[in-house]
Amino acid sequence: MKITKYIAACFIALTITACSSEEEEITGEGNVSLEFDNSYSTSDLLLTTTSYDANETEEVKISKVKYIVSNIRLEDEDGVVFTYPKEDSYFIVTEEDGASQFINLTNVPAGNYTKITFGIGVDKEKYLEGATGQGDFLTLAQDAGMMWSWQAGYKFFVFEGVYTSDETTTETAFAFHMGSHGTALDNYKEVTLDLTNSARVRVDTTPEIHVVADISKVLAGTTSFLLDDAAQIHVDAVKSPQISTNVNGMFTVDHVHN
Amino acid sequence: MKNYNLFFLGIFILFSCSNDEEYIYVPTNLDLEIPSNFPELEYDLSKNPLTEEGIALGKKLFYEGRLASDNIISCGFCHEQASAFTHHGHTISHGVDGKTGFRNTQPIQNLAFFTEFTWDGAAIHLDLQPVIPITSEVEMNETIPSVLEKLSSYSEYETLFTNAFGDAEVTSERMLKALSQFMVTMISGDSKYDKVVRNEDDTAFTTLESEGLKIFNNKCATCHSGELFTDKTYRNNGIPYNTKFTEEEGRKRVSGFEADFYKFRVPSLRNIEMSFPYMHDGRFGTLEDVLDFYTDGMTENGGVVDPLLIKNDGSLGIDITTDEKTALLAFLKTLTDNTFLNDERFAEF
Repeated sequence: MKITKYIAACFIALTITACSSEEEEITGEGNVSLEFDNSYSTSDLLLTTTSYDANETEEVKISKVKYIVSNIRLEDEDGVVFTYPKEDSYFIVTEEDGASQFINLTNVPAGNYTKITFGIGVDKEKYLEGATGQGDFLTLAQDAGMMWSWQAGYKFFVFEGVYTSDETTTETAFAFHMGSHGTALDNYKEVTLDLTNSARVRVDTTPEIHVVADISKVLAGTTSFLLDDAAQIHVDAVKSPQISTNVNGMFTVDHVHN
Repeated sequence: MKNYNLFFLGIFILFSCSNDEEYIYVPTNLDLEIPSNFPELEYDLSKNPLTEEGIALGKKLFYEGRLASDNIISCGFCHEQASAFTHHGHTISHGVDGKTGFRNTQPIQNLAFFTEFTWDGAAIHLDLQPVIPITSEVEMNETIPSVLEKLSSYSEYETLFTNAFGDAEVTSERMLKALSQFMVTMISGDSKYDKVVRNEDDTAFTTLESEGLKIFNNKCATCHSGELFTDKTYRNNGIPYNTKFTEEEGRKRVSGFEADFYKFRVPSLRNIEMSFPYMHDGRFGTLEDVLDFYTDGMTENGGVVDPLLIKNDGSLGIDITTDEKTALLAFLKTLTDNTFLNDERFAEF
């Protein structure tokens, strides 16, 4: 009895699609390639060899940039949101590993997408699913050095290198490791970006969304961090959330290839 | 509802027809027995149902030295059953290459009733707690990927993983779930105290023990509350600052909040007679030392001492007379659960 209703509904839906697709048929599923391209201000980020200006007289040479990208959602021109399956929606982007900077999303419904949302880090909901929720991501994260050894949690963002300043004339190590603080502080944050032009996902077209992460924003974002004040920030109830905000502010969509 | 049954029956018939020759191992489900005086379980068993085979694998892993980089230090190395799964004779515990940390091993008991673990709450899910000792360089000094690789290469684990999870694949999810299954079964709720509370076997407290319980309820039970004997909070109890371990910050290490400096988890008091030494750094060897500390030893330590431990005149401590201490000790010893401490299900050999 109910089944006939479903069949009728499907039939109607098909008919509607069939009517509207006289202009262009948007059905099926396709893929999206998401590129995370790390820059420093207007230049490409180069590790270790290059000095970059930070705040005041400080100069940094960066040796490590890693972050967890998660919970990807795409919104189309009609405001319909496609949520990428949560269990497959955790990725580690590492500056040293070029392949890690391309995230391939599969089985994305065909459509014209105009917005993207993603989180940096691991949300509490996933964490509290225990071993079930982590699946093999735990192994991947540990392999990538994205877990702490004294706390059973993920590092959401890792930023390391050396710096000098007028006050600190010999190269001195700095490291920012940001994650959530047990049950005390949740530093997982999401960012939503408008796409410069719509990403047109089709069965046979894979758009590439080119996201640029301006790493200079880590030290000079909403909050300015002077490494002379604190060169090592790991768990700090005030500064860690500020780092999280700076990190979320470093992303822009540069362009979309269709 | 009936339709569903028919539907499943149909599927079963289909499978039974097509899979005549295939043998599928089905693990044996196990019901967890929870003492009637205990609170609700916090661990979500629906995500990790207990099976005899899962628990057996968990036990094997718990006593597996090869989880450590030196292939010697197992979980059970520091968590000895006879000492309520603590490290007998050590103030702080030592890991691979004789390295030492700065914390006293905590008992493993009734963990399924908790959502936060370790002295500072560095783990907020039981499944993920073992990641700390396995990867900490002063404990087992390993990495999860390397442990998985090792386990995959030992033939005995092929059978154990297959029995528990259907095939021999070794994953972090399976390893951690098996460890949790074993730990979830480690329930200590059969002490004299429990028997009195549950009116079992005509068990009764002695006069001294009853007196101790009264004092306990008046002077200790605000923090050491309920049947688990902890309110699960983090508190600064005015323990003198330990200059040996300047890296110790208490709960602040996890939360990052200044106000949490030198706050530690209120520990459960079950099996307290056997889980010596005491406090986060194992500084006190006997329960008498602990009671003496609460009457005479508290001091400012760089953090904010818990207001509950400040007397009306502004001084720190709890007033307990010598006779009261004797009674308290008698009561605390009724929390010793010999069934648990000798339970072969949890024993290494």
